[in-house]
Amino acid sequence: MGDLTKVTIDFQSSHLLFPIIIGCVLAVLGLAIVIRERSRIAVSGDHWRNIFSQMNKFQFFGTLALTLAYFSLMVPVGDYWPNTGLGFLLCSIPFVFLAGLQFMHTRTARSVLILALVAVCVPSLIWWLFTEIFFLTLP
Amino acid sequence: MPFFEFITPLFLLLIIGGTFVGIIFGAIPGMTATMAVAVCLPLTYPLGLNNGLALLLGLYVGGISGGLVPAILLNIPGTPSSITTTFDGYPMTQRGEGEKALKIGICASLAGGIISLIALYLFAPALADFAIRFSYVEKFLIILFALSVMGALSANLLIGIFSGFLGIFISLIGTYDISSGGNGKHRLIPPGLEYWLDSGFSLLPVLIGIFGLSAILQEAENGMPLGLSRDKVRIGKSSKFSFSVFKGQALNVLRSSGIGTFVGILPGVGGSAASILAYTNAKTFSKNPENFGKGEPAGIIASESGNNGLTGGALVPLLSLGIPGDSTTALLIGAFTLQGIQVGPLFIGNNPDTWNAMIFAMLIANVAMFIMMFYAIRYVALIVTIPKHILFPIILMMCVIGAYTINYGIMFDVWTLLIFGLFGWLALKIRLEIAPFIIGFILGPSAEVYFVKSLESFGDLTIFFTKSWIAVLLWVLILGSIAGSVFINRRASQAE
Repeated sequence: MGDLTKVTIDFQSSHLLFPIIIGCVLAVLGLAIVIRERSRIAVSGDHWRNIFSQMNKFQFFGTLALTLAYFSLMVPVGDYWPNTGLGFLLCSIPFVFLAGLQFMHTRTARSVLILALVAVCVPSLIWWLFTEIFFLTLP
Repeated sequence: MPFFEFITPLFLLLIIGGTFVGIIFGAIPGMTATMAVAVCLPLTYPLGLNNGLALLLGLYVGGISGGLVPAILLNIPGTPSSITTTFDGYPMTQRGEGEKALKIGICASLAGGIISLIALYLFAPALADFAIRFSYVEKFLIILFALSVMGALSANLLIGIFSGFLGIFISLIGTYDISSGGNGKHRLIPPGLEYWLDSGFSLLPVLIGIFGLSAILQEAENGMPLGLSRDKVRIGKSSKFSFSVFKGQALNVLRSSGIGTFVGILPGVGGSAASILAYTNAKTFSKNPENFGKGEPAGIIASESGNNGLTGGALVPLLSLGIPGDSTTALLIGAFTLQGIQVGPLFIGNNPDTWNAMIFAMLIANVAMFIMMFYAIRYVALIVTIPKHILFPIILMMCVIGAYTINYGIMFDVWTLLIFGLFGWLALKIRLEIAPFIIGFILGPSAEVYFVKSLESFGDLTIFFTKSWIAVLLWVLILGSIAGSVFINRRASQAE
């Protein structure tokens, strides 16, 4: 019995020991969840159909698309003016404006103008604060 | 005197500013104290540790307290922890006693905050002194205990524990760190991502993604709510506030703050549990339980002193054991990491200046919160009208800065933000528990080191059961928390 509990750890493969144990625990727990929640899992298709039918698709996918474009463009734009953080600034202004515009319920000239002012002023202030005062790197 | 060296005008300004911004975040439904801390975390990098913590603790106290404003005026909890404030706060607003209800909540918040701060000051050093004696075995079991408590308090025990282990698993992606005694080899990295994931996913982009971006995606999914017009915020003038409302409520305040502090000390348990427990207890021990839910001031007092009691309590396990008490304090680990400081049993002894600064910052933050909210409540109430369509894009922009600057300009960290933002949104849909996941993710690498080193040192699995009486006690607590959860769930399903 005493020998059963004895363990020798090979240093060369020690990086795999804990991940394997955690992986096994996850597999066992996952299996137990699948068995216990099988009736709920069986109707999960309805759950997802409900989510997608009630979702505000314009805002949700619009946010995702804008975020993807924002993240993807920051570095290429910033490469035109290296080490200035202008990639961040020039991408943040349209991002804040367009994201705000899609979240807006009633688009009046006044509210769009206020949003445009915020979209220019806030990223500019943040950019100035981080690059000029805090000396932090921005894309 | 050395104690006061950290008190500079900037230090005080950051506490007050942080508290003010925290109140704004707390008062806007859908935005939380956690989000406030996540968004402002990058600002702490150039500020240094003490000043950075001053800002974050102000945000924390303000964020938790601000939640009472929409809870009382609009029947919408600003933060999850103010859910029970709606039960009696909103009926008071409907009776034209909005201002009175808000001021009751603010006073109770101050009391809860101060009582929990005293508990923090007394208990954290004592617990840390005790924990210094822990070996790797006990440290590993403490992490296991934290995960089992979180699992036990989740809506579903199995899913709660699964979420915690999933967090650990994802934290193991990368290199088995040589500086922690590892062999420096890669594991769990998908092919082609070795360069980016050499050190695994960075903690802060993961946290910012889960608490910042996923909240924005959630709001976008539901459709951004329409901003409230000022005339919908009815604070009421018919009833003036008087401190006499607290007559006979001392026990309620003490009990509720104590419950909040205790719940805070339990790892990973959120403020909503604190306020619900405090409220239920106040109702049980009240001479007029039938008045609860109809505008009873004692209900607001219990709820608010309970949720603010959490603030000091949640810092106890963080500063004494290195285990965060809730999701917001998990983010504070990020601030320590940024400054290259590790929290754990040695923290208070090795960093007395930072410890004193934290206590002082919490005290000032509570007082600042009280002054700002009590004397300017009519203006604070208008925070709920700030349009979200302007705030959320700015918050996302701040999240990007936080993720990008954390490792001095790595774009992969920004993509990590998106990956975990989506994960956080998905987790809500498939009912994964976020709090255990986060704690698992934070503590995973330590758990690995403690586990493997224990086995390397002793070469026997039984060491986890036989090392000391503390190990035995921890196993009793682990099994007790799981058994308790199973028992409660069985009783609940039988009652149905």
